[in-house]
Amino acid sequence: MELRFFEIYRSPEYLLLLAEGILTSAVLTISAGTIGFVLATLLASARHHSWPVLGQLSATFIEFIRNTPLIVQLFFVAFGLPLLLGYQWAFWAHALLALIINFSAYFAEIMRSGFLSVPIGQLEAAKTLGVPSFIAFWKILLPQAIATMYPSLSSQFIFLFLTTGVIAEIGVRDLTFAGLFIDSRSFRSFEVFFTLTILYIMMALSFKGILRLVFIKKFSWWSAP
Amino acid sequence: MKEIFVSVFGKPFGIVLFQLLEATQFTIYLSLFAFFGGGAIGIVIALLRIYPSQKSRIGAVAYIWLFQSVPLLMLLFLFGLGIPRLFGQNVDPWIAAIGALTLYTSAYLADVWRGSIETVPKGQWEGARALGFGFFKTLQLVIAPQAIRNTLAPTVGFMVQIIKGTSLAFIIGFHDLMSVGKRWANAPVNGTEPFVIFPLMALIYFCLCFPLSAFSKQLERKFGSVSKQDLPTAV
Repeated sequence: MELRFFEIYRSPEYLLLLAEGILTSAVLTISAGTIGFVLATLLASARHHSWPVLGQLSATFIEFIRNTPLIVQLFFVAFGLPLLLGYQWAFWAHALLALIINFSAYFAEIMRSGFLSVPIGQLEAAKTLGVPSFIAFWKILLPQAIATMYPSLSSQFIFLFLTTGVIAEIGVRDLTFAGLFIDSRSFRSFEVFFTLTILYIMMALSFKGILRLVFIKKFSWWSAP
Repeated sequence: MKEIFVSVFGKPFGIVLFQLLEATQFTIYLSLFAFFGGGAIGIVIALLRIYPSQKSRIGAVAYIWLFQSVPLLMLLFLFGLGIPRLFGQNVDPWIAAIGALTLYTSAYLADVWRGSIETVPKGQWEGARALGFGFFKTLQLVIAPQAIRNTLAPTVGFMVQIIKGTSLAFIIGFHDLMSVGKRWANAPVNGTEPFVIFPLMALIYFCLCFPLSAFSKQLERKFGSVSKQDLPTAV
């Protein structure tokens, strides 16, 4: 038993791979998180306002995604759908689509409780004052729902970020992919995955810090009830 | 058993369905091992976390933080590839998968149970102390009966996370629903295309997970839950 971390950090090639992996993981996670959040808001409001058909559809979608593993969804999106519909995308595009679908279901479940937490009287007051329902949603319901649920949303985001390593399985050159490649070259599995773990934790901590800053900047008006 | 499936569903599909369902048992066994193993360690960690001693508390906080922050995939790689290479010893995929999932589960359950124990008012501890009860006596007779109610929903809910987590174990060579399904999806056999197999696998996972989610929601309505904001506290 001998630990040889230097085999990783002394090789410029490996360091470059790791840096590239960190960037890919970060970009994909942030994009999927942002687009997924927009989709989640639509899903949650379809449910919240009990729109006919769409409400039930989004409820089914949310339950189905939340109760199946990400990797099965990923394989279906990456290998099943292209064969079924006859299209061909880059690996990262499949991964992005799968992550958006996955993230949106988890965020939608949180946003639903966010919408429920806003007192109904506020919307009734807006209606009485003649505020159009879209403006009421955009200016009254949504900001308060996000602010209330911000801690849950950000910890869910970080929780989901930590599961994104599976996209390496379909060939996306993310951080896990870089680790697997270095492992196959150097055979220093323990050192490689230990390093990867540290990098993932550091990335998660950075995300946490950034999300915290966003909250301080954008939600300074908010005081928890 | 296999013949029945073949006669009902026809040649390739009956065999596929039978093999998938047969492999599902290993997914269930692995989940149970992880749940009970993680639960046992989780209790110990939760107790260390609330035990009135600085050292045990710091140790437990570090443990919970560490294993909630480490991605499950990395735990599997470390147990399945890293440790065997480091010690030059082969590790059975069963042991590696159980080890990784147990640690993952234990940190989460310890945190849930800790959170729940802390919702019991301090006065209850002080009252029991005044009556001459020790730490464990107080816990057993006064605190646990009150604390257990709102741990039920998140504990059952986490079983869904465990089942979904087992789907990653195929990466270190564990034989389960995921590995069998993936092999069929890659096989050049008509009727086992990826767009047939993966939805089918998703359906099997859904049938395992959805009853637990629904039960967890029912428990939450009935008994309440530890504050949602404390849960999945990764990092």
